[in-house]
Amino acid sequence: MTQLTAPAPEAQAVRQPVRRIRVAGLFGAAIALIVVLAAVHLTQGTSSVGAGDLVRLVFGQGTDNAANVLVASRLPRLLAGVLVGIALGVAGAGLQSLARNSLASPDTLGVNAGAYLAVVVVAAFGVPLPVLPAGGVAFLGGLAAAGLVLALSAGGSTGPTRLILAGSAVAMALGGLTTLMLLLFREETVGTFAWGAGTLVQTDLHAVTQMAPVVALGIVAAFLLAAKLDILTLGDDTASVLGVNVRRTRVLTTLVTVLLSAAAVTVAGPVGFVGLVAPVLVRLLAPVVPGLLRHHVLLPLSGLAGVLVVLASDVVLRAAFGGQAGVEIPTGIMTMVVGAVVLIWLARRHRDSGPSRAPAGTGSGLRTRRTFWIVTIALAVLLTAAAVGAMLTGDAFLRTGDIVNWVNGQSGRAITYVLDQRFPRVLSALLCGAALAIAGTTVQAVCRNPLAEPGILGITGGAGVGAIATLILLPSASIWLLSGVAAVAAVVTFGLVYLISWRGGLSSDRLVLIGVGVSSAATAIITLLIVATDPWNLSLAMTWLSGSTYGRTLPQVAPVALALLVLTPVIAHGRRDLDLLALDDDVPRILGVRLERTRLLALLAAALLTAAAVSAIGVVGFVGLVAPHAARALVGGRHARILPVAALLGAILVSLADSLGRTVLAPAQIPAGLLTALIGAPYFVYLLWRTRVPAR
Amino acid sequence: MRRTAIALVAAALFGLTACGTSEPTASGNTSNAAAQPVSLTDARNKKIDLKAPAAKVVVLEWGAAESLVSLGVMPVGVADTKGYTNWVTAEKLDPSVKDVGTRGEASVDAIVALNPDLVITTTDEAANNITQLEKAAPVLVIRGSDAAKPIEQMKTNLDLIAQAVGKTEQAKQLTADFDKKVAEGKQRIADAGKAGSGFMMADGWKQGSTITVRMFTNGSLLGALSTDLGLKNGWTGAGDKDYGLAQTDLEGLTKLPDGEFLYIANKNDGGDVFGGDLAGNAIWKNLPFVKAGNVHRLPDGIWMFGGPKSAGQFIDAAVQAVTS
Repeated sequence: MTQLTAPAPEAQAVRQPVRRIRVAGLFGAAIALIVVLAAVHLTQGTSSVGAGDLVRLVFGQGTDNAANVLVASRLPRLLAGVLVGIALGVAGAGLQSLARNSLASPDTLGVNAGAYLAVVVVAAFGVPLPVLPAGGVAFLGGLAAAGLVLALSAGGSTGPTRLILAGSAVAMALGGLTTLMLLLFREETVGTFAWGAGTLVQTDLHAVTQMAPVVALGIVAAFLLAAKLDILTLGDDTASVLGVNVRRTRVLTTLVTVLLSAAAVTVAGPVGFVGLVAPVLVRLLAPVVPGLLRHHVLLPLSGLAGVLVVLASDVVLRAAFGGQAGVEIPTGIMTMVVGAVVLIWLARRHRDSGPSRAPAGTGSGLRTRRTFWIVTIALAVLLTAAAVGAMLTGDAFLRTGDIVNWVNGQSGRAITYVLDQRFPRVLSALLCGAALAIAGTTVQAVCRNPLAEPGILGITGGAGVGAIATLILLPSASIWLLSGVAAVAAVVTFGLVYLISWRGGLSSDRLVLIGVGVSSAATAIITLLIVATDPWNLSLAMTWLSGSTYGRTLPQVAPVALALLVLTPVIAHGRRDLDLLALDDDVPRILGVRLERTRLLALLAAALLTAAAVSAIGVVGFVGLVAPHAARALVGGRHARILPVAALLGAILVSLADSLGRTVLAPAQIPAGLLTALIGAPYFVYLLWRTRVPAR
Repeated sequence: MRRTAIALVAAALFGLTACGTSEPTASGNTSNAAAQPVSLTDARNKKIDLKAPAAKVVVLEWGAAESLVSLGVMPVGVADTKGYTNWVTAEKLDPSVKDVGTRGEASVDAIVALNPDLVITTTDEAANNITQLEKAAPVLVIRGSDAAKPIEQMKTNLDLIAQAVGKTEQAKQLTADFDKKVAEGKQRIADAGKAGSGFMMADGWKQGSTITVRMFTNGSLLGALSTDLGLKNGWTGAGDKDYGLAQTDLEGLTKLPDGEFLYIANKNDGGDVFGGDLAGNAIWKNLPFVKAGNVHRLPDGIWMFGGPKSAGQFIDAAVQAVTS
């Protein structure tokens, strides 16, 4: 992992002398701000103990009640916030230096997701681990995730897009597994859903006191690495020449940052994006205060910034919605929204640098027409088999003769019913799979990025927010209203992503990065809506966060069918334009394609297809990513061929996932979206691995 | 490539030709023609007509299942039978009762395989799912609970279920027994000089190092029962509009006055937060009712959202706790 690129401007900033007075002033200001926030934080809570009581307590006139609340609830919550903030802030700064990338963080590298999965698995198997071993488990989970993501993105040095994509894919896969555990072990993991977004509510000082030494150890270790990290910013080669063992420094930094993140997850669950936001806040001040980017200043200051982010989120949450809201709405949701905004802002500033995606034409080798027809026919047969199989499997296994009878209206009562209710589910899985695949193919062509998809661009999340908001406001909303709102939300979300990414032209990388930010924000909002309105309704959460065909009826399938009928011809008509768009910006212009118009029209169609699919079966990820890619690999790069093959593959994938979900744990059910994530995410990871830019 | 494709096609065709049927084709329906038809209106204001009182009933919510058993009808299927066994001890299910999946997403395949005369579910179920179930069997939808009148709602539900299975006499008896039980309990509390004294009813769970407490308001069944027993609910905050449940954290408990703190835990499912995790906690230790030793863990398996039998169990336990 060597790098010959010229030192970034950042590297020069690192070499600036430290202005001690200004830096000291900054530390002073940060600490003063933290003290103020902490004071406010202590006055907020569900009990009647307020500022007055606490002041009296300071002067020795307080009540026992106030003292108890302070000691057993407010202080633990405050200290948890401080601990989590410092740990995530330092970890984020460390990871960003490690990856030489301001978009790296415990969230974007999957560390939090890995650590959280480990914690949930332990809880699910009913092992009541004390805090420290639980932290150890979280550490191993986080380490594995970080290792995978860093390996996939060549340590992050190949540019931010790959890093973010690898991180979000791994985080999505791990999130899918976590949800699966929650679903399978519902009783044992009760309450984990809200906790899964990160909450500071603490019952005692136990977790904090157990984890504080771990965090302290991590911070000291990070500090010891600071000088080497400074040198590392000059580039691997320079650092080697200067006598730094690059490899060892990286490994040690990874270990330390994962340790810090895991400690934070153990105390409060995954508090979102703090590790991303905190170092960014510090870097913002760097032009004013020279020397800020020296790691022995950057690391502790990022820690303080982390504390500020966490405390401010919690204070604002309680100030805006009352003390009770702090119990119901996890702090992590607030930080996630803030973090998503910062992610978007960072991505907007991002300049295209270096190759971040597979070179155009990957997998578009010579494929004959005969191959196309063989593949198409084979897939059509597979699709039929998948559809028939889907009708046969489930809690009750049937035989093909039953279907024949059912079709002829001769089946008995039980079979008729089973098939009547299974048919819309099978149909919705097939149609949504096809719709998502077509949308994915279109998005990939237009973005000229094989790693883009409606989910990653935030379209799916936007549609999900629209649909669930409608369901909450109007529980009896018709499917057309639901689809309509979802469609509007999807288009608006996508318009937002598109406009924000537009900076004198559309950079595909920027589009993807901003899409990831928007889709994180959408997930946070969906969680917020569920937690705030119907916290006991796990089924609602499951459908809208993982996608399910449960209880679908034919009318609910209608919008998807309609969308496919109307929009597929539109997209198919533009297949040659898509071929050209997938090449570069210039060729289509030269050939007279109205670039922006075609692009917008294609993306609009993709957004509508996605919205129809989302309102039918909820948020299902990875189909729009995996199907087009596999199609390209099978039949080459022409969209006349990719589109039908991808549609077939998508339909088969979702149908298979749905059949499995209905069968494996019967009579209990697994949402189809979870299984597509479990199938799709490893494929995506493999895809990233295959297309990783080799060390130069 | 080509060979693979051919092999796949062949395999798929082979799968398709493995024909056969699982049941004989439809013929006339057999029914117990002798019985009286039943007609009733459920919580959706929907009229339900049955040719005869339902005998084979599938129940998707535990409270309704308990009521059904207490009326002398064993359901053929219940959602999450394992959970029922852990949480509802008032009426036991026969081992023959089939598990039809989770309470949130019951398996329609499993339900229809039982060929029920009636499916009972609550208004918590999504309208779509109910529509779909109705294709298989008549569906009686009851309102899970109503925080405006939880006890009446429980009785209404019992009556609806009783009508559907032709057991209205038994329902009258159960209701009368229940009313008697409330009156006796009230008397015993008055005799012990505890009338008008305070109570709190809660359950709770722990995740990570966060403990969440669920408080039962007067709109909850157990809160309303305690009030009817002559006690006064110390939790004055609002709950949800159906089940009358409020959520708080540990420090929220400091708002509570003195009184009897009753709680339900389950050793098979979640353990005992109040008796275990909070033992050394400064807020908990100094709450007035904890200091006074007025914390009572009610016996495991009293279902908080059950029918008259569970309610009776609760009355016994609450009276015992308050007067001891």
